[in-house]
This record gives sequence, structure tokens and C-alpha cells, in this order.
Amino acid sequence: MKDSIPTDVIQLGAAGSAMRMAALVVGVISLLGGWFLTGGGESGHDTFFRSYLVNFTFFLSIGLGALFFVMVGQLMRAGWNITVRRVAEGLASGLWMMMLLAVPVYLGRHSLFEWTHADVVAADPMLQHKAAWLNDNFFLIRLVAYFALWLLMTWYFTSRSTRQDVSGDPQLTLNMGKWAGPGVMLFAVTLSFASFDLLMSLAPHWYSTIFGVYYFAGAVVGSCAMLTLVVLIFQKMGKFGNLVNAEHYQDLGKLIFAFTVFWAYIGFSQYFLIWYANMPEETIWYLKRQTGQWTTVTLVLLFGHFMVPFLGLMSRHIKRNSVLLMLWASWMLLMHWLDMYWIVMPEFSAGVVPFGLADVLTFLGVGGIYLSGSLHFCCRHPLIPLEDPRLHEAIGFENA
Amino acid sequence: MSVSNVEDRMGLDNTLEEPGRRAPLIVGGNDFTSITEKVCGIVERPKPPKGWYVALGVSAMLMGMLFGLIGYLVLVGTGVWGLQIPVGWGFAIVNFVFWVGIGHAGTLISAILFLFRQKWRTSINRFAEAMTIFAVICAGVFPGIHVGRVWFAYWMFPLPNQMDMWPNFRSPLLWDVFAVSTYFTVSLLFWYLGMIPDLASLRDRAGTRVRQIVYGVLALGWRGANRHWQHYEKAYLLLAALATPLVLSVHSVVSMDFAVSQLPGWHTTIFPPYFVAGAIFSGFAMVVMLAVPAREWFGLKDVITLRHLENMNKVILATGSMVGYAYGMEFFIAWYSGNSFEGFAFLNRAMGPYAWAYWIMVSCNVITPQLFWVRKIRTSPWIMFFVVIFVNIGMWFERFVITVTSLSRDFLPSSWGYYSATWVDYGMLIGSFGLFFTLFLLFLRFGPMVAMAEVKTVLPEADPHHGQDEDHDHRELADEIGAPEDPVVVAGLKGAMPAGDKYGILVRFKSPAELMKAARKVRDAGFTRWDVHSPFPVHGMDRAMGLRSTKLPWLVLAGGITGCASAILLQWWTNAVDYPFLISGKPLFSLPANIPVAFELTILLAALATVGGVFMLMKLPRFHHPLFHSRRFRKVTDDRFFLCIKARDPKFDNEGTGAFVSTLGGDAAEWVEG
Repeated sequence: MKDSIPTDVIQLGAAGSAMRMAALVVGVISLLGGWFLTGGGESGHDTFFRSYLVNFTFFLSIGLGALFFVMVGQLMRAGWNITVRRVAEGLASGLWMMMLLAVPVYLGRHSLFEWTHADVVAADPMLQHKAAWLNDNFFLIRLVAYFALWLLMTWYFTSRSTRQDVSGDPQLTLNMGKWAGPGVMLFAVTLSFASFDLLMSLAPHWYSTIFGVYYFAGAVVGSCAMLTLVVLIFQKMGKFGNLVNAEHYQDLGKLIFAFTVFWAYIGFSQYFLIWYANMPEETIWYLKRQTGQWTTVTLVLLFGHFMVPFLGLMSRHIKRNSVLLMLWASWMLLMHWLDMYWIVMPEFSAGVVPFGLADVLTFLGVGGIYLSGSLHFCCRHPLIPLEDPRLHEAIGFENA
Repeated sequence: MSVSNVEDRMGLDNTLEEPGRRAPLIVGGNDFTSITEKVCGIVERPKPPKGWYVALGVSAMLMGMLFGLIGYLVLVGTGVWGLQIPVGWGFAIVNFVFWVGIGHAGTLISAILFLFRQKWRTSINRFAEAMTIFAVICAGVFPGIHVGRVWFAYWMFPLPNQMDMWPNFRSPLLWDVFAVSTYFTVSLLFWYLGMIPDLASLRDRAGTRVRQIVYGVLALGWRGANRHWQHYEKAYLLLAALATPLVLSVHSVVSMDFAVSQLPGWHTTIFPPYFVAGAIFSGFAMVVMLAVPAREWFGLKDVITLRHLENMNKVILATGSMVGYAYGMEFFIAWYSGNSFEGFAFLNRAMGPYAWAYWIMVSCNVITPQLFWVRKIRTSPWIMFFVVIFVNIGMWFERFVITVTSLSRDFLPSSWGYYSATWVDYGMLIGSFGLFFTLFLLFLRFGPMVAMAEVKTVLPEADPHHGQDEDHDHRELADEIGAPEDPVVVAGLKGAMPAGDKYGILVRFKSPAELMKAARKVRDAGFTRWDVHSPFPVHGMDRAMGLRSTKLPWLVLAGGITGCASAILLQWWTNAVDYPFLISGKPLFSLPANIPVAFELTILLAALATVGGVFMLMKLPRFHHPLFHSRRFRKVTDDRFFLCIKARDPKFDNEGTGAFVSTLGGDAAEWVEG
């Protein structure tokens, strides 16, 4: 069977290289454009960095979610996902670019994090208490540590997987299965603290023990939606043949559906416990998001990120229909982006949704550069791990 | 696809992973016949092992002690417990949360692992579900008696009473009533629905009249018809989909009993998923603890294999680590929040007067499960048995630490106190284990403890394509099972055509593959009133028979919408209109606080609609059926496959159809009287 697959079906080829180049060029130009068009000066840079952070955390979550997808598949010895796993490995490989893209977050910290201002900290006993954690140096050390660990995991799982393309050694599958366990544990801890550092500390007085799980839930929704979308696009470009078919799309759709519900569960848990206990130091965070125009955004999230897709993605016929699934995957990506926007922006713009050019340009910028990293990986390797010992399960499987 | 050969299936260790080749889930050379024989044999043998009597005797005594102590409590009052201000919640709540947590594994195995296509669940799901039911019963006892005046326990339900009061739907304790009773009901339905085919096996093998009647009534006239299996499988899937969020909701709601308060150590947003992880953790520990001796005593080592145990231990490791994550997060945020009360609550846990309990909890729950990284430990039954006992101890202490340490030292040092349990507390805790084990041991003796029909589907020969290309070892196996009893069948039907009313012609087959081929032929011949009967659902048979998809999902959707709408209406009318009273500054009609009950009733009504709907569509119960006249047909719940063409079929004619069925390739055929 493997020999009968024509190579142009599993190689991105020239089209892929062109896409990678285009993504990179669009990314760099948009970022530069965003930087200069926001007008420069103190407030212009603030606008830029805030929009940048929204998009950085958005694409970071997609890379991390993809890494999770790869690791958890190895951990559970999954068979169904082998034909789409290489693309997920590609999305995880975009984390190499995210490392570079993390530099502006650190450089722009004064536009983002109140606790980086010595004068603010000096006047605030609470921030002095937290200074042991929330300080410039430790923040930088942690960022470096997160990326070092994420990239170590990405390197391990992608290099072993592509090595198997050549050797076909089943031992590599066993090794990946073995290291996926500690990998997932490390992933949970690093992702949680990264979400505390990058997002929760925007409101440095506020705290929520579930915040890391919330970011994780959104990350899996976003990355499954992105994976579905990329696979669908590649297939429209004539790749995969029938190695990826309605069965795989149905399963990807199930994952999007399941994690959409999980996101709602975690989001509700966080909101509900804070709402019920009604303690000012906690409710302030939601109060900002229920004031002025933000109320609308909150309701859009409630309906758009949960209720509507909950009903819309329930039917198996929709998950098996490539056009409808593509719409839903795009919609969920949009909603996950809005979720990040809703976490970041109300901290800087009370009552007003400050959507503007900077948001669009940093989206294109971060996204373009991130995707160029992913496409780089996808161009260099076959789109399907042809020598994976469980490949036949992915090809033959049917949803009962 | 690799088909495991006989040698592979004789070995009992199936834990070795070979990528690309799934290890057999059932070992020891078992086939359909031996699975039925083994599982039914446990129920049918005249005497259970001696150990069973000893265990039942001890458990029943402890259960008696529990009921005695409940009597004492009701007569004297809750003063017999160690409750004393500031600790108003003691063992009763700890035991409640502990048992509800234990009750999470069963439905998780049946529902969530089902949705995840984890086929290994089939060997363990039945008794894990039974364990769930019994654990929830144990849990339900404690809040019931905790109200003090048990004769008013019905006040928890929204029933009209002479004082014209309604329960307060903004209270988490009321959500518990709904969550736990919904969970109990849905788990019971799931368990029972799954058990029907196996009860039919016990009915068909019954040696005594009493057994035949009892199991016959419980089996509701099940006859393995594919027109039933079609609805049944859909119902099972729908119930799994409903039970999955339900499992998560139950312990989430339990966690809200604590987390909606403002008490340091209780009020933290990670509580819902953290409690769920802990519940699954302890539930699986209990399943392993019961499975290790049960498989030994009842000779089920080849059905509940080392691989099953290993997989469960991996789940224990994963969920134990999630619990550890939550402990760590709580501690970190207690410091990070800068809230001095929160910080104190956690320091007090680790270093205060209850530090002993805290460190028992941490070492049992976080450190012990990490032993399962070692393959040797997670595949050695008696070592894991001790590990999981520690897990259960740790999880009881977790609830003790959460409940008691936070209450004993709250905001005001002047109101601090120390809680000590009394002998009645300890007696009831031990007694609740008596209740649990009594019920469980009775189930092992009288019910099918392994889901036979489901286990049969994971045997390689259950695949209708099995043996099509590499079939000679299978052929040999089939020959061993038995040579055709009626060689005449090839030429025609045995026996005379009945003079009176005919129901139809029944043809017997030896394998799902043969049945499938025959079904396609009957479909193509244009028959409409016919059915196939099998011990388990045969994959792809609906298509082979040309059946249309079931309408059941629409009924379920209607049930769910009704549940949700009536819950919202009920809460709005009772709390905001008929008996309005303000509580904790919440609006009279407060939607967020109404979501838990709305969710539970949505699931409850959807599940009831599933079960009601599936029985309606299957037209069961139907205790008598013409097919039961056939003695051969009794094997339909064991290892034989049947096809029946009814005389009512418009294409049916005596001679022609008789000749037609002899071309179907069965090994026996007969007329069935109407």
C-alpha cells in the first residue's frame, strides 16, 4: 500500500515552499507595518504591544495545543490520528518561531505588565509581596525555561517521528510512548505557569487557580481547529489522496466539539465560583468584562464559543462534511482568538473595545511568521509518517 | 489485519506492546462458548468459594453495625458524632464525598472509555458499574442522616407542602440532591441496559424454574434480534454521551458545596476539575482493589487480564498526577494571591494541628501512584493491590483535610477548635464499607459480573470479516466447536411443516461471517419481514440487512430540551414567584445558580427518554415470543447465530422459501410454530 502512494500526494512541493515564503514575507511586513503605523511614541507602542500579546498568546496556544495532540496520541498509542499527525507535528514546530516572537513580549513588558514599573510596585504592598515572582529577571528566566522545555519536547517528538520515515524502526514508537508520559506532565506545568505569566499577571492583583486549565482548554480547541483547517486546505490542494477521509474529519470534529464543551465547563467553573462568592478582589476581573462594550464581547463568547457550536457540531453529518467542518473550524479559531482578546484588552481599555489596525497587522505578523515555521517543517518531510507501525489503523478505521 | 493465532492467545501475559499490532484483550484461548461458560458458571455453580462466605459474613455484620448506629443516631441525635462548633461538617460529609468519588470510575469506564474507543473496558465495565451504584448508595446514606431529622429528608425535593415553602435553588447542597440522584438514576439505567443481553444468557441457561423466571423477567424477553441491537447500540452510545458530562458534573457540584463559600482553603476556582480528577483516581483505585482478588477467586485471569490492570494503573497514575497538580496550584496561588487568610489556611494544613492528616494525604495521593511509572509494579497484581489501598486511604484523608482543617481554623482565632471523631463516627465509616461489600458480594454471586455480550465483540472471531483471507486456523476452531448437527439441512428443512400457524423459518449459523453473508442474500432476495439474531451486535449488520437509521436521537433531544426548560421554569417559579426570599445577596431569579440543576435535569430527562425510547422502539418487554419455542434458539445468547424469515413476509411461500434458506449456508434449520 505504501509503495502505491504517489509522492506528490504526500509532499507539499513547490506550492508549499511558495506558501512558506509568502507567509514569512507577509508576517515580517505586517509586523513592521504594525510597528510604524501605530504611530510610534509611548502610546503607539503600547497599542502595538497589547495587540501583539493577544496574537502571540493565540498562536502560542495553537503550537502548544498541537504539541499536546502529538504527545497525547503517542501516550495513548492512538492509531486513528497517524495520517494527520505529521501536520500536527508541523504546527508544533512553529514553536521555534514563537521563541523568536517571544522576544518582543519581553522587550515590550513595560507596555503590558504593571508590575514591571518600579514606581507602581513601590506604591503597592500587594505587588511588593508578589515581587519575588513578578520581577523582570525571573520573568525572563521563566520565559527562557518554558521555551527550552517546549522546544526540547517538540524536537524530540518531531525528530523521532521523521527518523522513523527513514528507518521504520518500531522501537522509536515505543520510545515516544514512554517519554510522552513525563512530557505531558511537564507540559501541564509549563503551560499553566506561562499562562499565569503572560495573561493572568496583566491583572497582577487578580488570581485564579484554574486559569492554566482555562488557557489549556482554549489551546486544544484552537489547535484542533487549526489542524482541521490545515489538513482540509492541504487536501483541497490535492494532498493526502483518500488517506485522510470523512472518518478522520469526524474524529477531529469530535475533538473540537469535546474541547469546546470542556472550555465551557472550565470557563463556567471559574466564573461561577467567583460570581457566587462575590469577593471584590476576584470579581473585579469579570466586572471589567461586563462593563460597556465588553459585555457584548462576553456574550458573543458565551454564545459563539459554546452554545452555537455546541448545537452546530453535534451532528455527525456536519463533522463529516468538509465544507461545513471548514466553516466550523474557522469559526472556532475566530472565537478562540476573541477569547485571547477578551482576556488581554479589557485590562487596558475600560468599557471600550479598541479594535483597530494594530490587531489586524500583528495577527498577520505573528501568524505569518508562526505558520512559515510550521510550513517549513511540512515542506521538508512527507505529510504522512509512512513508516509508522500503526499507519494501517488510521487508513482502515471507521467510526462505528 | 493481524489475527492472533492460538498460541498467542494461550499466554496470559498480554502487556507487551508491539507497535502496529494490538495485543489480544482476552487471552487463554477463549471463544464465545467459553466466555459464556465462565461468566455464567460463577452464578450457576451450586456453591461459591469459601472466601466468599467469610467475606459476606464479615461485611453483613459491619452493615448491621452501620444500621444499628444509624438507629442510635436517630434516637439520640447528632450529638453522638464529634461535631462541635466550629467544625459542623465532619465524618458524614467526608464519607459522602469519599463514596461519591469512588462511584465515578464505573460510569467513566462505561461512558468515557466507550467514547474513546477503549475496547479494554469491556472486561471490567460491568462490575465497575455495579461498584458505582453501590458506592452511590453508601454516599447517599450520609447526607440523609446528617440532616438529623431523617423523616424530613423529603424536604430536599421540590414537593409542595403545607407550609408552602420551596427548596432554595441557590444552595449548592440542593444541587447535590439533583446531581447525585440524577447520577444514580442514569448509572442504574446504563448498568441495567448493558446487562439485559447477559441476563438473557442466564435465562437461556437456567437450570431451575425459579432462575428461569427471575432472569427471564429481568431480561425483558431479549432475543438478540438485530432490529433490537440497532436501537440498543444507539441507545448505549447516547447514554454514554449523556453520562460523560454527567460524571464530570457530579463531583463538580460536590466541589461547589465547598468552593462557592468564602472560606479560605475552600474557595478556589480549580475545585471542580480537581475534584473530578480525584474522584476518578479513587474510583479506579477501588476497581483495581476489587478486580485483583475477584479475578483470582473466580478464575477470570484470562478475561480481566494483566493488560486491563496495567491500563487502569496508568489511569491512576495520570489522575493522581492531576490531583498533585491541583495541590501544587492551590499552594502556589495561596501565596501568589497575597491573601493572608488563604496563605494561612494552607500553611495550617501543612504545619498546623492536622498536619498528620495532610501528610498522609500527600504521600498516599501524590507519591504512591508515582510507583506506577515502574512497569513491574503496575503489572504485579498483589503489589498494585497494596498501592491502591494506599490511594484509597489518601483520598479519604483528602476529603478530611479539606473539610476539617478549613473549618477548625477560620478567620477568627477566638473561634478556633479541634475536631475529634467519636466511636460512632468511626463505626459508621467502617459500617459503610460493610454495606458496600455486602452489596458487591451479592452482585458477584447473582449477577453477570463480566459483560459477556461486550467481551464477545472484542474477540477476533466477532469480526464479520474474520477468517476471510487467513482462515484455516479459524476453520479448525469452528470444527472443534461442533460438527453440523443436521446434514440434511443442505437438502431442506428437518421435520414436517407445522399444521397450525407458522411463525417462520429459523436458520442457524456458526459465525458472524456466515450470518452476514446470509443476511445479504436475504436482503437481495427482497424479503422484508425477517431478522437476524446474535449474542452480540455484529458490526456492519445494519447495512447488510439494509436497515434505516434509528429515530432515537430525536427523542433524546426532545427529552433534553424538556428537562432544561422545566428546570429553569421550576426554579424561576419556586424561588422568584411563589416563595420569594433573598439569600446571600443573590437575585431572586439568578441564572448562574440555576445552571447546575438545569444541567442535571437536562441529562436526567434525556436519559429517561433514551431508555424509554429504546424500549418503545424495540417493543420490549415482551416475555413470550414464538422463537422461544425453539430449543436451539437458546444458544442465541451464547455462541450461535440465527436468521429468521417470518411467514408474514409477502414473499414467503412454503416450498420456495424452504428451498431458499437451504442455500444460505447455515448448519441447521427448522420451522417455528406461531
